[in-house]
Amino acid sequence: MLDEIINQIQKEFEKDIQDADSLKKLEEIRIKYLARNGSVTLLFDKLKEASKEEKPLLGKKLNELRNSVTEKFNSKKELLEKSETSSKEFIDLTLPGKTVKLGSKHILTQTLEEIKQIFKSMGFSVFEGPELESDYYNFEALNFPADHPARDMQDTFFINQKFLLRTHTSPVQIRVMESMQPPVRAIMPGRVYRNEAINARSYCTFQQVEGLYVDTDVTFAELKGTLVSFAKQFYGSSLKYRFRPSFFPFTEPSAEMDITCFICNGKGCRICKNSGWLEILGCGMVDPNVFKYVNYDSEKYVGYAFGMGIERIALLKYGINDIRLFFENDLRFLKQF
Amino acid sequence: MKISLNWLKEYIDLSDLSTNEIVDKLTMSGLEVEDVTDENELYKNFIVAEVKSVSKHPNADKLSVCEVFDGKENLQVICGAPNVAAGQKVVFAPIGTIIPNGNFQIKKAKIRGVESNGMICAEDELLLSDDHSGIMVLNENLPAGRPITEALNLNDVIFEIAVTPNRPDALSHIGVARDLSAIFNRDLRIPEINLKESKHKADEIASVEIIDSVNCPRYSAKIVLNVEVKDSPEWLQNKLTKIGLRPINNVVDVTNFILHEIGQPLHAFDLDLLEGKKIIVKSTNEEKEFVTLDSKLRKLPKGTLMICDAKREVAVAGVMGGENSEINPSTKNILIESAYFNPSSIRRTAKALQLSTDSSYRFERGTDPSITKYAAERAAQLIAEISGGEVAEGIIDVYPKIIERKEIILRYQRVTKILGYEISNGKIHQILSRLGIALKDLDENSLLASVPTFRHDLEREIDLIEEIARVNGYDNIPVVPKISITLERKIDQQKFEDEVRNIISSLGFYEMINNPLESEWEAKLTGNPISLANPQSVEMSCLRTSLLAGGLNSVKRNLNFGVRNMMLFEIGNVFNKKSDSSINTFEDISEKQNLILILSGKEEEKSWLDQEKYFDFYSLKGFVNAFIQKISLDNQLTDLYYSSENELYNYHWTKNFNNVVVGIGGKVKKEVLNKFDINQDVFVFEFNLTALKQITPEAKKYFEPPKYPKVIRDFAFIFDKYVQYLDVKNFILKKASKLLKSVELFDIFESESLGRDKKSMAFTLEYYDESRTLTEDEVEKDFNYLISEILKEFNAKLRG
Ligand SMILES: [Zn+2]
Repeated sequence: MLDEIINQIQKEFEKDIQDADSLKKLEEIRIKYLARNGSVTLLFDKLKEASKEEKPLLGKKLNELRNSVTEKFNSKKELLEKSETSSKEFIDLTLPGKTVKLGSKHILTQTLEEIKQIFKSMGFSVFEGPELESDYYNFEALNFPADHPARDMQDTFFINQKFLLRTHTSPVQIRVMESMQPPVRAIMPGRVYRNEAINARSYCTFQQVEGLYVDTDVTFAELKGTLVSFAKQFYGSSLKYRFRPSFFPFTEPSAEMDITCFICNGKGCRICKNSGWLEILGCGMVDPNVFKYVNYDSEKYVGYAFGMGIERIALLKYGINDIRLFFENDLRFLKQF
Repeated sequence: MKISLNWLKEYIDLSDLSTNEIVDKLTMSGLEVEDVTDENELYKNFIVAEVKSVSKHPNADKLSVCEVFDGKENLQVICGAPNVAAGQKVVFAPIGTIIPNGNFQIKKAKIRGVESNGMICAEDELLLSDDHSGIMVLNENLPAGRPITEALNLNDVIFEIAVTPNRPDALSHIGVARDLSAIFNRDLRIPEINLKESKHKADEIASVEIIDSVNCPRYSAKIVLNVEVKDSPEWLQNKLTKIGLRPINNVVDVTNFILHEIGQPLHAFDLDLLEGKKIIVKSTNEEKEFVTLDSKLRKLPKGTLMICDAKREVAVAGVMGGENSEINPSTKNILIESAYFNPSSIRRTAKALQLSTDSSYRFERGTDPSITKYAAERAAQLIAEISGGEVAEGIIDVYPKIIERKEIILRYQRVTKILGYEISNGKIHQILSRLGIALKDLDENSLLASVPTFRHDLEREIDLIEEIARVNGYDNIPVVPKISITLERKIDQQKFEDEVRNIISSLGFYEMINNPLESEWEAKLTGNPISLANPQSVEMSCLRTSLLAGGLNSVKRNLNFGVRNMMLFEIGNVFNKKSDSSINTFEDISEKQNLILILSGKEEEKSWLDQEKYFDFYSLKGFVNAFIQKISLDNQLTDLYYSSENELYNYHWTKNFNNVVVGIGGKVKKEVLNKFDINQDVFVFEFNLTALKQITPEAKKYFEPPKYPKVIRDFAFIFDKYVQYLDVKNFILKKASKLLKSVELFDIFESESLGRDKKSMAFTLEYYDESRTLTEDEVEKDFNYLISEILKEFNAKLRG
C-alpha cells in the first residue's frame, strides 16, 4: 500500500514541479513535499509502521523518492533563480567603468630610477650637489686648467667669473671626496647645463649620472666589470660592447663605452652614424691630480669614475627622435609612459 | 681632421692592412675615426666618356640630347649643362651608378619624352667641389671607358679623425703614422732634409728678436730667395684637395702641406715687405687694430702676442698673418716662420678674436718646440724645389731657454695595479719606444722614460700607463666577474624626492620637466633672479626662481595642443639671489628643490556615471593634504588662509612649519594667466622640498580601533554667511567634553528661505570612550550644551 502512495506522490510531484514557474510556487512545493510536514517527510513516519520484512525494501524506495524529489527540486530552483534575477536586476556589464586617474613619472625619471636601482644593488650610495657651481668645483679641481682647450669640450653658461651652471655632475665627486675618506662608492645623478643650440638632437640642459669608486685596490678591470654588468642589466644580457680610449681631464686612462647599435644590430644606420656602435658612457681611472685637490694619497688610493646622459639613453631606448619632446610636457606624450 | 691614407703610407708601410683594420685599430687606440670616404668605392662605376654629338632636346629648351661614347658603344644621354659640347671628354655615370651627392642611383629614364641612358656629371655631384655651373670637362687625351678612379687619381681613402684635446701630437699625418707604428709595431719613416743652400747667409739677410720669450719660447726662420710664386704642381694640389684644403700658391701650399705633414704651423712672409728685414716678437701693451690676410679689420686686445717688423705688426702670432706682408704674385724673397708659442697665449687671442685657424688650433693645444728647425728646413727645401728659388744658408733660430724632455719613472708593478692585468716588460718597452719615448732601465722593477717634446700630455707615470693601456688595447683588459661591497649603511640623498614622486604620481599627476632657464620677467614673478652672463637668448637669460612660470608654460602648450584638463607636477631646483649685491660666494645664492602641483580644467568629465566638475580650490586642498598626510607631516604643518588677493593669486593658502612658509598656493590671477595666454582657471601649490625634507615626520604609532560603540549626533545651524567653517569646528572641539572624538561638516548651503546673507552648516559629531560604553544621557548633556554655546557664540539659529 505504501508502495502505491510512493508512486502517487512521485507522479504528483513531477506534475507540480513541471508547473512551477516562480520561486514562490517552488517554495509552496517545498512545503508540500519536503518540509517537516511535507508528504515525503511524513512517509518516513509511516515506515515505522511497516513490517520487518517490508522495511528494508520500503526504506530503500523512500530514500530513492526523497533523493529524486530533492534533486529535481534543487535543479528547478537553480533554473528559476537564474532567470528571475536576470529579469528583475538586469545589469549591462559592458558599460565603461569609472575613469581612474593614473598619473606617471616622467620617462626621464623612470629611466634614471632604473639606472639608480642597478647601481644601488651593487653597493653604490646616492649623492647630490648644487646645479649652480663654482668654477673651482666644475673645472679647476677636476683638472681642467684655465685657458685649456679641454674647457671647449663643454660649452658653459656663466653667472660671472667665479660661478657657472655645472656642465657635468663631476663636481659632486669632489664634494663627496672632500666630505669623507675612502672607501667611497657612490653615484651622483643630477641636472647639468650646456650652452648648446636647441634642436632635435641637443638641448641646453640634461641629466647625468656620475659614478665614483675609490679604494686601495681599484682597477680598470673592475671598472670594466662593473659597467659591463650595468649595461647587461639595463640593455639586455646578450649585448656586445667595447671600451675605446678617450680623454677627460679628470680621468687617466679615460675611455668611452660603446654598445652594439640596437637599432640596426651593428650593421650601421643613421642613428649610429654607420659605425654599428652607440656610445653610452664615458669613464676612466680618477686622475691623481684630482686626488691632490681633495687630499687623498694617490699612491695609496686608486679610483674609477664614469658618467652617462639620461636623455640620450632614453632617446635611444624608446626610439624618440626629438630631444625637445622631453621638455614640452605635452600630456599626450607624458601619458605614453 | 682629415687624413689621407695614401699620404699616410709615405711614412709607414700599411700595404698589407685593410682599410677596416686600420680604422678599427685607430679608433680602438684613441684616434677615433668618425667617417671614412673610400674613393674607390664612391667612384667605382664612373668612367671617362666622349661626347660625340650634341643636339637640342625637342621638348625642352635647356636640355640637350647627347651621343656619348663609353669606350664600347654610343649611348643617348640627356644633359642639362650649358657647357656640354661635342668632342669633350667627360665624367659619365652609367645606369646603376650611385651619385655621391644625394646618394641616388642613375636609372634608365625618359626625360621629357626622350630616353636617357646615364648622366654626365658636374663636380658637385661627385663631391669634388661645390661647382654646379656646368659639367666637368676632362683632359682630352684621356681614353673613353677608363674608370675615373684611375683617370682622376680618385683612389684614396680619407679618414675623418676626432682628435681629443690632449693629443695635439696626432694632428698631422706623421702624428697619426706614429700611433700606427706603435699599434702595428712597425717603423716610422720621417722624410730627410736634403738642402741645397746658396752662399747668401740667412742671418746676414734678416734678423729675429724675441721680446716676449714667455709667450714665444722659440722662433726659427728660414729664407728662400728668388722664388716664382705660381700654382703648385699637381701632386701638391692633389694632396691638399684630398684633405679639403684649397690650393693657393706654391709657397702657401707648402706651408699648409708641412702643417698637415708634421703638425708644425708655418707662416711665409714676403721678406721685402718686412721693414728692416726684421722680426720682433712681442705682446701689445694697448688695444690695436690690425688687418689680417683675410682682409678683415680685427680689434686686438691688450696683451696679444704679435709678430712685428722694425715698424709695425705683420701677423697675429700663431693665429693669422697680416695683409701687409702676405705672399703675393710678385713676391721674390720669403721668410718662413716656424715658431713655438705658449699655448694659453694663443688660445686667449683666438678666443678674443673668435678666430680659429688650422694654426691656432694646433698652437693652443701645444706644438713641438723641437721641430721648428726641421719644419722650416723642409718647407724651404720644398719651396725651392717647386718655385725655382734658392735657400739661404743657415737658419735664424732664437731659442733663449731650451725646453727639455720630461723624465718619468715607470714602475712595472704600478701598471698592473692600475689596469688589473699584467703586460710584459718587453711589450711595455716596445709600445713606449714606438711612440718616440727614449727608455732606460733603472732596475728590474722600473724604467726611466724620456718623453719627446711633442707629447705635452705625458707628464706623470699614470700618463705612461694610459699610453701602454691604449696601444695594447682596452679589449685586452679583463672584465672582473665580481666586486666586493662594504657592509656600511648606504646613503641615498634622493630617497625623499623619489618617495614624493611616487606619491604625487599615484595621486594622478603627470610629471613635467621644464627648462630651468627662463626670461627675466618670468623669473621676476616669483623671486630675485640670477641672470646668466652669456645667455643664448632673452627667453633663457635667467634661472627660474620658482617652478611656476615653467609650469604655466606647460599649461599653455597643452592648451595649444588641445589638451584642456591637466594634473601636472614637477620637482626641480630653483635659484634666488639673497641680496641685490653681486654673487661672490655660495652664501649669496639660494638653491632649493621645489615641488609644484598644477590643476586646470575638469576634474571629472561628464559621463554616464558622473556629472562634469571643474577643478577648484578644494580639489587642490584635497591633493595637497593627501600628500602631506602620506609623508606623515600632517601634525607638523599648520595652515594659514588668505582670502584677499596678492600679486599672483586671487586667494591663497600657506603651509607652515614653525612659522616659516614651506608651501604656498591658490588660484592664479587672470592678470598672471593672461601673460601666459591661458584662458582657463589654474590652481597651483608649490612646496619647498628642501625644507620639508628636513622636518622629522611624526613616528608611526598603532592605535587600537574602538572596542565600544560610537554615539553619533547631527545638528545644523543657520549662521551668518561670513562665519567660517574652521572657526565653528574649533569652537565645538574647544567646548565639547573629552568624549567628542570628531566633528565633520556634512552639508553646507545658502538659500532664500534661510534669509539674506545666511547659510546653513550641518555637522556630524562622534562620541566614544576607549574603555566603556557611553550612556545616552551623558552624550545628550554634552550635545545640548554645545547647541546652546553655538547659539550664543555665533548668534546662530538651530535648524529643526
Ligand atoms: Zn645603427
